[in-house]
Amino acid sequence: MNAQIIGQMAVSGALMGLVYALIAYGFQLTFATSKSINFGQGELVMISAFFSLTLTNLGLPYWAMVPGGLLFGAIMGLVVERAGVRLALEQKSEGWILLSIIIGLFFFSAAENIWGRDDRPFPTPISADPIHILGVDVTRLELSVAVGVFAIMGLIELFKRRTLLGKAFEAVSADRDAAELMGISSTRTVMLSYGLSGSVAALAGILVSPITTVGPTMASALILKAFSVAVVAGLDSGFGVVLVGMFLGALESLASFYLGSGWREAPGLILLILALALRPNGVFGKATIRKV
Amino acid sequence: MKRILLLRGAEFLVFALLATIPKFVENPYALGLLTLLAIYGILLIGLDVTVGYLGQVNLAHVAFLGLGAYAAGFVVTKLGLGMVPALLAATLVGLVLGGLLALPALRLEGPQFALATLSFAALSTTALNELEALTGGAQGLSLSRPPLFGHNLTPPLFYWLCMVLLAVVWMLMRNLLASQWGRAFEALRDSPIATDAMGVGTYAHKVAAFALGSSLGGLAGGLYAFNFQYLQPQSFTYDLMIILLLGVVLGGRKSLWGAFVGASVIVLLPNLLSNRLLFQIFSGLGFAGALAAGLQGLYRKTTRPFQALAPVVAMGLLVVGGLLVENTEDWRKAIFALMLFSVVVGLPEGIMGFLSTFLAKLFRVPHAPLPEPADIDTMLPIRPADGSALLVLDDLKRYFGGVKAVDGLSMTVRAGTIHGLIGPNGSGKSTVVNVISGLYTPTAGTMQLRGVALPIGSLYRVAQAGVARTFQNLQLFGELTALENVLVALKGVYRNPLPMVLLGLARREERSAQAQALALLELIGLREQALVKAKDLTYGAQRFLEIARALARKPDLLILDEPAAGLAHPDVLQQIEFIQRIHQRGITIILIEHHMDVVSELCDTVTVLDGGRIIAEGTPDVVQRHPKVVEAYLGQPPQPELPGGAEPLPA
Repeated sequence: MNAQIIGQMAVSGALMGLVYALIAYGFQLTFATSKSINFGQGELVMISAFFSLTLTNLGLPYWAMVPGGLLFGAIMGLVVERAGVRLALEQKSEGWILLSIIIGLFFFSAAENIWGRDDRPFPTPISADPIHILGVDVTRLELSVAVGVFAIMGLIELFKRRTLLGKAFEAVSADRDAAELMGISSTRTVMLSYGLSGSVAALAGILVSPITTVGPTMASALILKAFSVAVVAGLDSGFGVVLVGMFLGALESLASFYLGSGWREAPGLILLILALALRPNGVFGKATIRKV
Repeated sequence: MKRILLLRGAEFLVFALLATIPKFVENPYALGLLTLLAIYGILLIGLDVTVGYLGQVNLAHVAFLGLGAYAAGFVVTKLGLGMVPALLAATLVGLVLGGLLALPALRLEGPQFALATLSFAALSTTALNELEALTGGAQGLSLSRPPLFGHNLTPPLFYWLCMVLLAVVWMLMRNLLASQWGRAFEALRDSPIATDAMGVGTYAHKVAAFALGSSLGGLAGGLYAFNFQYLQPQSFTYDLMIILLLGVVLGGRKSLWGAFVGASVIVLLPNLLSNRLLFQIFSGLGFAGALAAGLQGLYRKTTRPFQALAPVVAMGLLVVGGLLVENTEDWRKAIFALMLFSVVVGLPEGIMGFLSTFLAKLFRVPHAPLPEPADIDTMLPIRPADGSALLVLDDLKRYFGGVKAVDGLSMTVRAGTIHGLIGPNGSGKSTVVNVISGLYTPTAGTMQLRGVALPIGSLYRVAQAGVARTFQNLQLFGELTALENVLVALKGVYRNPLPMVLLGLARREERSAQAQALALLELIGLREQALVKAKDLTYGAQRFLEIARALARKPDLLILDEPAAGLAHPDVLQQIEFIQRIHQRGITIILIEHHMDVVSELCDTVTVLDGGRIIAEGTPDVVQRHPKVVEAYLGQPPQPELPGGAEPLPA
């Protein structure tokens, strides 16, 4: 009985954790090309979800709404890159941290006023009826999260490996200066990474909203955990985020069960600080050699 | 002197004015705002230590405000103690928790640091909410303002208390930040590696700076608790943190006045937002200011188009939004965001940064005169060059994965000599230097300085042991002046303990430090440029300054890593002369260099590396003729029957 509850909690937690992993994957995309991440990524997830909700309310079918939401996310990602990141990168400063926080705050306030402060349900054609698999209940909705996460990560990885543009992406990630010398515009590649990262954030919003509802505060709830996953796994760990995301999701679901829901976030945060202290490059990350 | 008088006079005037206000103003609302101004002033001075001086985005400051507030509340309500223990406890909580957070966060830079502080802030909100037995949880905690030394603290008295504390904090911090400590904080921001290599521990300074800033956050929290007399965890969230950052950035980083201006803005902000007319006036002024500055920047080509136009667009949005939106209060976060954005992009120095440049131009206040340079012979006495073994490397190895960068190097550097270390690119020269100076840990082998094992894998401890180095890719403290760059590294002058520094009783040693630093600058011909920021020096001067800074360590062994790299020919000659001057003082030098003329001119002994191993050693003449050396540099010797044209190689 007890083991079954633990199993159940761990499985649904792990499936939620895939959403954190997906957002963390969005961090990796921009970190690879520009060594920067969007501190307002949670707000990007949130406004994309709200925008998709509006598309649905306008009568668009689910399968037409998803591309619309992804496009919106990509555009917002480009806005962040242009307004918050590019200048700081040109000046080789870390101003992007503050600027991306600021832009996130602006998005938050805009969403609050355009769509309201309340949490709203997000309609979806996918059923929430549980199915029994190996003694635990899993809903189709939860499974759709897993399918969506693996699909987009797989597609982007294929894109990076198989297309010319993707190879340019990899080249800039490996060595920005050398790529520039080979005629690849690093600015455009950074833009591409922010666009992709925005789409990934939008998909995370579309996948998670039917389960958690949409509201302005969903941003802060998601972002801290996504940060934890990204840092614990390592910002260049590739699929490491999936493992860490599932682990963290399961852990937090168990923590909220045993310690009370107020402590839900604690394990992730403690894990994050520990990981930063013990392995700043992450569990799956590569250690960098300092050069002078 | 005039400058000091002006600055002190302005400080005195403002504090005197603020102190007399309750005598004339009876309005409790205004008094409340002024009290908050003092509290936020202390808070922002603390935040400026990390954000301004260390240059890190610190998102945990609001947590220290909250923790300090709750600590004070706990001491008063649960322990029944008075005001003084409560404020002490609040400060202590900030100091200790700040130090504890800094310990893991200390290896981190930039985004990772921001993340660690963000997590800490979220964690402390969770704790305040959930530890209901201590904090009252979401219900909040009510407390009353205990008397101070038997006096009941009426609003004016409490205001004076806050102001006195602000004045005290102000004075202590002014002394600290103008001292070696403040310089070390700034040096850390510009180059942590060089700070360590100059024998200034990044470890201790980063923790100290963070703990100090956090303790001020805690103190401000204690005052906050007694001001509002009701605490709720929701008061100390991310939103407030953003406002605090707005205060520091808008006021101006690295400036006490900036913190003060920032605090005033924060205090007035709610009024600004609730009054429509006021908001429109201020947003209009902001727009006009951004437009004027942007156009000027574009016209003079001092700013990039984005930097000039983005603030105009943001302020324009603020103006248009102010006209369209019914309730500006609803949009307060967006308004903060637009204001912060404009400031960060368009006015990165903040209001005080802008004003101080402006005022300096207006009044042309000269810098306080510098002392006469110290006597170089007393500060850097000539050492006898006895030729004894100074540095002995034995079978030193450093592998990177499968790459054997240094593979079994044994070498002896004799006291008083210039020992050249040459070799083709990738031969392992820089790795050797990085291993000796402690940046890398050797894979195997031993290193001895004067027969004592050299510390391993710590730039800081190697520097303390008497080894100084320069960097091939310059690692100067760009925002500091040439003089300050040398001062940071200066050894053996700063002896006064922290309390003396805080109280401003360490002026004398500062003068003698300046005199010594000037003597070193004179040695390498940079005395006239002592007050120029390092980043504004010419490339050649920057290379010279690196050497002066390393000399400030008064080292037994000086490692020069390609000191002539990228220098124009006249500068190379100059550099050779400087190195000879240093050599005449009996300082042992390891010289890594590509210019063969420099090597043969200067070196007593040359060690040639290839593939991480020694291929030749001896005097420059001998080494230059060594067939293996020729082969390493030029490839296989040409076959004799090849058609001529090439110069014959020395046999």
